[in-house]
Amino acid sequence: MSVLARSVGNAFRNKVRTAAVVAVLAVAIGLALAMLVANQAVGAKVQELNASVGTVLTVNPAGGQGFEGGGEPLTTEQATAAAAVPNVSAVVGTSSLRLRNATEAAAQAAAGQTGQGGPGGQGGQGGPGGQAAATLTTSLTAAVDAGTLGNRNQQSNGTTGSGSTTQPMRSLPITATGIGAEVDSTGKALTIAEGAGLGDYTAESTNALLGTTLAEKNNLSIGSTFTINDQAYTVAGLFDAGTSFGNNAVYVTLPTAQALAGTPTELSSMIVTVNSLENVDSTKAALQDALGTDKADVTQGQNLETAVSSLGSVKNISFIAFVAALATAGLIILLIMVMLVRERRREIGVLKAIGAPNRTIGLQFVLEALVLAALGSAAGAVIAAFASSGIASALISTNSTSTTPAATAGRGMPGGVPGGGAGFPGGGQGGNPFGGASQLLTSVTASASPEVIAAGVAAVFGVAIIGALVPALLTARIRPIEVLRGE
Amino acid sequence: MIEVKNLVRTFNSGDRTIKPVNDVSFVLEQGTLASIVGKSGSGKSTLLSLLGALDKPTSGDVVVNGVSLAGMPDAKLTEYRRRDIGFVFQQFNLIPNLSAVDNVMLPMEFAGMRKAARQQRAKDLLEQVQLVQDKHDRRINRLSGGEQQRVAIARALANEPKLILADEPTGNLDEQTGDHIISLLSALSRDHNTTILVVTHDRALANKTDRRFRLQQGKLTEEPVRPRAAVPVTA
Ligand SMILES: Nc1ncnc2c1ncn2[C@@H]1O[C@H](COP(=O)(O)OP(=O)(O)OP(=O)(O)O)[C@@H](O)[C@H]1O
Ligand SMILES: [Mg+2]
Repeated sequence: MSVLARSVGNAFRNKVRTAAVVAVLAVAIGLALAMLVANQAVGAKVQELNASVGTVLTVNPAGGQGFEGGGEPLTTEQATAAAAVPNVSAVVGTSSLRLRNATEAAAQAAAGQTGQGGPGGQGGQGGPGGQAAATLTTSLTAAVDAGTLGNRNQQSNGTTGSGSTTQPMRSLPITATGIGAEVDSTGKALTIAEGAGLGDYTAESTNALLGTTLAEKNNLSIGSTFTINDQAYTVAGLFDAGTSFGNNAVYVTLPTAQALAGTPTELSSMIVTVNSLENVDSTKAALQDALGTDKADVTQGQNLETAVSSLGSVKNISFIAFVAALATAGLIILLIMVMLVRERRREIGVLKAIGAPNRTIGLQFVLEALVLAALGSAAGAVIAAFASSGIASALISTNSTSTTPAATAGRGMPGGVPGGGAGFPGGGQGGNPFGGASQLLTSVTASASPEVIAAGVAAVFGVAIIGALVPALLTARIRPIEVLRGE
Repeated sequence: MIEVKNLVRTFNSGDRTIKPVNDVSFVLEQGTLASIVGKSGSGKSTLLSLLGALDKPTSGDVVVNGVSLAGMPDAKLTEYRRRDIGFVFQQFNLIPNLSAVDNVMLPMEFAGMRKAARQQRAKDLLEQVQLVQDKHDRRINRLSGGEQQRVAIARALANEPKLILADEPTGNLDEQTGDHIISLLSALSRDHNTTILVVTHDRALANKTDRRFRLQQGKLTEEPVRPRAAVPVTA
């Protein structure tokens, strides 16, 4: 019989009470673990979002709003002006082109549908409203099927352009973007899956980068050629943007695209990188001033600011709830152990009378508390496993509901999400350019890792030890003479 | 050797003070078997708890082998109880959810004895107090009063203490078993030079002790006894 064996035995001395205590503890511990899981998952997501879009500002021409708009295009002089704004570490201009399959374009032209490049076209590469992206022909076929959404969107385009509403589209246009550096249209570095980049992005070149799925669809590999407006281009590399829409795209150097569009000094948008996260807000304002509110709209990254801040508050709330649930578990253990110590006063007196040192008795009670905590953690982990995703989604949906007005505003922002897959009426993809908290939910709930549970259980044990320490120390004050006093 | 010097213990019960132990002094040589008799409520258990360092006297001192208990810190008193004292409580005070063997093993565990050794000794001690084998692993609260009393005696003997303080050790036993316990205690005092002080209402037991005290109104008086040689002992 050791101290540990006695503690375990004592924990089961009153089975009904032990069951009740474990049940209550399990609820508190389960809640704590679920909150920790939510907290960790959301924290990881926030970090990921901050890392990807944190310091990037996007500049689009002013005057566009939603699907309508006009105004002046951005120019290379404005890029120079933007580069001169303090704390701006890089300015990358982009020039967007819309490529249509030559055969289909011919067929559609025959059918009288000519409005694809109409003002503020909904499908304008997710580009700014009010900006007419040049539409060119290509030998490429889109890798994304139009699907219901694509057809609906393209039909409404047709309405804008020509009044015809009948003919369904056979495929989507392809986005070709001229870029001034090896970044995609959201400012993220391009992931070259095969081959090489374009080298000097500030010079005209007949090399191009293709998305992996687009290349596959057209049976192209490194070194193959295709045409844009009857001019041959060579595939220098394949990139992987991670989404099927993002991969249905072509990147060429900025001057190449400007030349193809016939507008050598114009830019579709500028991607401005700020030197640090703290300077983003001030730089955004400075940039807006430098370019003029009537000329350009400056937006932050993918406009995930609101999503990030709402996730941030979910993170805070879940952390507070974690601490509170943990404290509750500690308090339950404290009160139960105080009760047990009082109840076993006489027995503690006996142990002292036959020579048990105070620390042995204290240890016995701490171990007994840990047995209860272990049982509670086991049951709590099961509860957390079932409740985590529910609790996380409840937290996130509550919070994202409160940010819905912001989300709606984000959707109507000029330019929406340049190149953002969600913003483009691509087949199969939802049309919420905000890509807000609800969309992040899938990735948030997926990450209830064993490490997080283990860390949570460790915290529970820490709290259990603290909770049990007070009653254990109380036992030191019980005098051996208690043995002579019955209850 | 245990020397008791002017020991006083008072209790405040309501508005008046009671003195169950009032200026008690005596000396017991090592290996003496002594008994205390007295009316119920006369203070016998109170005196025993003072000698066993379970309680602290209001005044006076107990000196064990030249060491005074009065000035001893609590940790030392715990060690004294563990190493030098075997206490048989009037109410047994066994741990109810442990088996007989586990109860007897407890003091040895606190003394740091290895598990196999203390298990063996516990079984031997239970044999000595005539608790049959199949009751060794039975939980205390499933043993009879007399069986519990014998487990309590076995526990008191566990660490081979120099002083055994037994509060009515034969109170719940039949005559035959009681006689056996008496002879066991006599043998201990004679063969192991253990000092034994028993509180008893049992005439048979009191008559077999080397010295006999009576506690009355807080005062201890010694009664004359026949020499020990006259006491028949069956080992
Ligand atoms: N903690 C206490 N507070 C107040 N009075 C006490 C306390 N402990 C004991 N007493 C009183 O002291 C007196 C002596 O008690 P004690 O238990 O020593 O008697 P006893 O001689 O052992 O009696 P018995 O033979 O019935 O066991 C009793 O009157 C009892 O009521
Ligand atoms: Mg008594």
